[in-house]
Amino acid sequence: MSNAKLWCLTLIPSEIISLILTVLLALYFTSFILYIVRLLKGPTLPDRVLALDSLGYDLATFMLVLSIYLNSPMMAVCALSLALWIYAVDIYIAKYLEAKEMGG
Amino acid sequence: MIDVTLISTGLTLIAIGVFCDFVAAIGLIRLPNFFTRLHAATVGAIGGAVVPMLGVTLLALGYEPLGGTRFILAGIAFTTSILTMILSQAGSHAIARATYRAKAAPLQPIVYDALGEEKGDANE
Repeated sequence: MSNAKLWCLTLIPSEIISLILTVLLALYFTSFILYIVRLLKGPTLPDRVLALDSLGYDLATFMLVLSIYLNSPMMAVCALSLALWIYAVDIYIAKYLEAKEMGG
Repeated sequence: MIDVTLISTGLTLIAIGVFCDFVAAIGLIRLPNFFTRLHAATVGAIGGAVVPMLGVTLLALGYEPLGGTRFILAGIAFTTSILTMILSQAGSHAIARATYRAKAAPLQPIVYDALGEEKGDANE
């Protein structure tokens, strides 16, 4: 029993988790660059809003993973408000496209 | 044993999220139309954001060196994943409906337009 517990403790040390998280964060970054390409060259306004939408939700996820990586819960609170802000942008742009005005 | 299960499940879910992110980004670059890019963006919102947030929840619950802050992290990650699961669908539907009604994006690579038939645009 104690041998199995020792094996479990040595199976995933903290350095390996940090290494895996570093690789995953780098892959997230390359995906962000592809989103930013569509955000900059999107032919119409809804394309840009769609790219901003995906970029914002993935940025919230990036912040959550980064807060585990850096061990600080401050960034996670920012992720929660960022997800709500992206929804507000969607609704504002939809209202602008349908009614041609930004008022509430 | 439960820690190893939580950590490996969390890392696997984050890796699935990275894969879905790549698929969504390549789809946003390559697909020809706004209404087809909407499909790729929804893959990016659910597969690329909700699934890795659940993975962050499990990873934070099982990762011992974080100390007491891991419960705060797990709670915030779970709340954000549930909110994203609801709000991304609502936002995508609002954008698609407004774009179709205002004719702000071209419909051009199209197979069948059922909404146009209902409104009577076909006999224009």
